[in-house]
Amino acid sequence: MRFKASIQNISTFTKLTASLNSLGPLAWVKLSENQACFTIIPEQGTQVWAYLRTQDTIFESYTIQSAADNIINLEVPLTSLTRALKSALQATSASIRLTKKDNIPLLALTIVTTSSGTSRGAFGTTTGTSNPDDAFGDEHEAGTGFDSAFGRDRETIVTQEVPVRVLSPETVSGLHEPRCREPDVHIMLPPLIQLKSISDRFTKLALVGAKSVGGSTVTAAVSSQRTRLEMAANMHGCLRLSIQSDAMNISSVWTGLSNPELDPSQVLGGEEGIREHPSTRMKELGSADGRSEEGWATVRIDGKDWGKVMSVGRLGGKVIACFCHEHALILYVYLPNDNGMDESVLTYYVSSYSA
Amino acid sequence: MSDADHQELPVFNAVSGSARQLYLLLRCISFADKAQVQITEEGLRFSVEESSIMEGLAFLDKSLFTSYQYNAPALRPSTPNSQDSAASETPEPPTFQISLPSLLETLQIFGLTDQNSRPPWAREAQSMAFSSNILGMNNLCRLSYISHGSPLSIIITESSITTTCALTTYEPAFTADIPFERQSLAVKIIMRASWLHDAITELASTAPSRLTLVARMQRGKPYFALSASGPLGSASVEFNNAASTIYPPTAATNATTPDTAPSLLLETFQLADPSARVTNSYKFALIQKAARAMAVATKVSVRGDAQGVLSLQFMIEVEAGKVSFVDFRFVPFVAEEGDYEEEGESEGEEEVADREDESGEDEE
Repeated sequence: MRFKASIQNISTFTKLTASLNSLGPLAWVKLSENQACFTIIPEQGTQVWAYLRTQDTIFESYTIQSAADNIINLEVPLTSLTRALKSALQATSASIRLTKKDNIPLLALTIVTTSSGTSRGAFGTTTGTSNPDDAFGDEHEAGTGFDSAFGRDRETIVTQEVPVRVLSPETVSGLHEPRCREPDVHIMLPPLIQLKSISDRFTKLALVGAKSVGGSTVTAAVSSQRTRLEMAANMHGCLRLSIQSDAMNISSVWTGLSNPELDPSQVLGGEEGIREHPSTRMKELGSADGRSEEGWATVRIDGKDWGKVMSVGRLGGKVIACFCHEHALILYVYLPNDNGMDESVLTYYVSSYSA
Repeated sequence: MSDADHQELPVFNAVSGSARQLYLLLRCISFADKAQVQITEEGLRFSVEESSIMEGLAFLDKSLFTSYQYNAPALRPSTPNSQDSAASETPEPPTFQISLPSLLETLQIFGLTDQNSRPPWAREAQSMAFSSNILGMNNLCRLSYISHGSPLSIIITESSITTTCALTTYEPAFTADIPFERQSLAVKIIMRASWLHDAITELASTAPSRLTLVARMQRGKPYFALSASGPLGSASVEFNNAASTIYPPTAATNATTPDTAPSLLLETFQLADPSARVTNSYKFALIQKAARAMAVATKVSVRGDAQGVLSLQFMIEVEAGKVSFVDFRFVPFVAEEGDYEEEGESEGEEEVADREDESGEDEE
């Protein structure tokens, strides 16, 4: 069982694991020849299935070998992995490999930092601040110059070890990506940071409203009570986010978003399938100014959970949301990459609460 | 919402170009959950009260709005709680309560999106010169109230996002303001609000329970002191005017806010009776609730009437040259030789407050 890869884009990988970590502490990582699948299935809340192309975006010179069709299943603690990756943010290169120490399987993250720049900086500032004497300061500067001239290529190598658990194929055989009926509405979401700032405020508003009604006696009830955000979209570029409380009723409507066209090659039944597709019917209803009450596909989601999902916004990719009316919301988050084809995608499954 | 509302005109409809101003003013009185709103021809009056002994009042003048329409409602078909006004022909102005924290949160939605979504140095700054941020178009906020019982709706438009908020309106809970007799003022002091803020912040460090105001003439000079006392001890802050500029102690010669003489600590100092000494005590925690207004206001007018009711009127500059006022009124602790009654405990009060050590119990 061998796995080794160098990490090409450390900051993207760090942001990715950090956003996954907000949804759950443990990830099931399935490494195969052409993709690495990170899956989070929390007890409650949103599931994520992230497919990273091995030849793309994040990894480079990726090699894998195992007795089971070159597939390795691991259970990875995301907090430790994220922390390890964060220390690699300044690195010149980093690589990850599966290894074993005292019979405990580990993901070893090897971080190489070229030290000349940083060590000179540290040295220079300490002498500068601690020594008020200019002459001494100069002497030290010269010393560092000398040092760096010879030590420019000196490297620091740090290895971070993240203990993992190897999962047998039987353990994971029961885990399947959720299936969902064809969505009624698919829409490109506005920047997630924008969406998050509004939805977070809505969640806060609902709590404010709840508090003002009952005073201190119901604080326990308030904390256990979940805030239900209502999200809806139509096939005319409108997205609506709303929340209701006793004190108020608030909604924000985005207009002018785009509803991507379906690709006949991707839809079951081709052209015919598209004609029969629920979204085609939804196109007949509603209007582009978002005022019509028709043509909305609605889901009810937990405000707190949604806030966690939105944390993926830091990756900055485009996001397509698929609404299955009163059923589920599926988000496809595409990782930004240079070649437009075969992008890595994160899929979020958010199920809708009943009214 | 706008085109197909109702057959009859909405009672109130206003557009503000700056929700920020409304927010700044209303935040000053955000010490309670519910605010009572009264819509009149001249503006919106928000009042908040606490245990009937403190009241905060913010008046949003119609000049704060770019458009302001008020259509006096038709006489209501005698609702049970309007017997007193049923006799008079003029309808009472619409009054209702709303959740103040919800309103404040809503007003803050402004700017949230544009600010965060894209930093100014972002690459695809296609048309910076015409961005809604620079043109000030993302700041439009429309308030409307259709008729009795309908929600107060706020519509905020920012580039391509429209936020609609319907605030539930509740029946008004209190009707009368705390009576304050402007005609018989015992004392009137105008000073910089930040000094009052500093003093209150300073005194708050000992967690006092009551605050005593003393105003008198001392050797021909105005003397004003705030002293706080509580279980941990007492402290006092004194204000003295350096120069002896005594304003004629005539009855209210309306405050003409002299912009001159910045050296004067107390811009105006008037006593109804120059030989008298005005002393009144208030609950410290309540005065502290006006701290936010103290912090943002430029000037404060501290007035006490013959019965000891304290009025703090704050002048807040919402934009250059435009001022708004936020008022607070406080009912004093009953004085020893008081001849009137208020709720709260009736404990004796010495003349000099810093000697006194009993802690005023909470009223709530």
